[in-house]
Amino acid sequence: MLANVVDTHDLLQVVWSAAAAGVGLIVAASLGIMGAARATAERRDGRAFAAGLYAALAVAAALVCTAGVVLGVSVMLSKG
Amino acid sequence: MDGDLLFGLVVVTALAFDFTNGFHDTANVVATSISTRALPPRVAVGFAAVLNFVGAFLSLAVAATVAGGIVDAAAITLPVVFAGLIGAIVWNLVTWYAGLPSSSSHALIGGVVGATLVAHGTGAVKGDGLLGKVIVPALVAPVLAFVVAGIGILIAYRIVGRLRPGPVARGYRTGQIVSGGLLALAHGTNDAQKTMGVIALAMVAHGNLPAADPHPPTWVVVSAASAIAAGTYSGGWRIIRTMGTRIIKMDPAQGFTAQGAGAAVILAASHVGFPLSTTHVISGGVMGAGAARRLSAVRWGVAGNIAIAWVLTIPAAGGTGAVVYGFARIFGHGAAGPLIVAVLLVAGLAWVAVRRLRETRPAEAPA
Repeated sequence: MLANVVDTHDLLQVVWSAAAAGVGLIVAASLGIMGAARATAERRDGRAFAAGLYAALAVAAALVCTAGVVLGVSVMLSKG
Repeated sequence: MDGDLLFGLVVVTALAFDFTNGFHDTANVVATSISTRALPPRVAVGFAAVLNFVGAFLSLAVAATVAGGIVDAAAITLPVVFAGLIGAIVWNLVTWYAGLPSSSSHALIGGVVGATLVAHGTGAVKGDGLLGKVIVPALVAPVLAFVVAGIGILIAYRIVGRLRPGPVARGYRTGQIVSGGLLALAHGTNDAQKTMGVIALAMVAHGNLPAADPHPPTWVVVSAASAIAAGTYSGGWRIIRTMGTRIIKMDPAQGFTAQGAGAAVILAASHVGFPLSTTHVISGGVMGAGAARRLSAVRWGVAGNIAIAWVLTIPAAGGTGAVVYGFARIFGHGAAGPLIVAVLLVAGLAWVAVRRLRETRPAEAPA
């Protein structure tokens, strides 16, 4: 009965894509925050190489988050 | 002349509904940002209002499908649309007064379904559509957001748990501004379109638009965008308090997680074309972000009241829509009945507003 009124394929697609996008965005943002915080701390302690690695992690995570936002806006635009 | 008056009443009522939709759903976008001090309250609602306005222009795809698949298209007459809108407005006002987040979209659908039942009987309402487009999504949305936010906050705490709290809080607050902006855009895109859809349906019923391709004209798009933005800016502070502080006391990581998970769930559902309520998603996200840390962190009594409001939305808005339609019909098929209802509603709201002004301290605006 339920399968007749709900497209289970769409429903499953919503579940996995929402889980992947949501958890992915939160992990990326958290890694970015961690990278930025650790980069500052390492630089303060004079460890330039480690600071650079953490800064690169922060930049990469920021790029992932930006890509997520762009993807979100494109989803809104593609409806019309 | 009578038809023109009725059409004008429906348009004004639709814009009034859009305004209530804005102030009712402001909380979805700004409550977590205000609660974690990512943004000052007035800046947060101003930011959300501007992005709701912009969002209304991003897409017109669902503008013509309000209650589509749920109510027989031939049953949608101007009096039915009017009664449905009044049912939704009344439910939005009642839940706002109680500080309970509930779905404005479900209220609108409920109002139209109730009026249709009285006008055309059960044959005009499609039970499968109601189940597939309203009830199942209402069950899926909060659970999905709850789980995504819950998993997300557990991983986030593992990543940032040993860092100094100051930079971490600043980072998540910045993230909240971005995720809140995305939510506001998505809300404007989805919800302003519902009002555009209602006005487009009224225009079809009035003969101003072809039924085959009822794309709303520019004035409809601009007025719907303006009404939802104005409603958002006016801020439904009671619901903001419930969402922001009464369900859980959240830190910036939880606020970002609730918003980020909410935005991801809403946009994933939009991409697939699966209709989820913003209110249900964000409420689920807030509860998930709190419960994953500690089950007792969630005030389950408040969560239960919210769930009751969700269950009651369709029957209550539907009952009001049905009563309004039946009452208006006493005065015939023309504009007289809806006009009397509109005057009574405005008079009732004015009476409540005057009473509140007389008896209360300013409890609305935040400090």
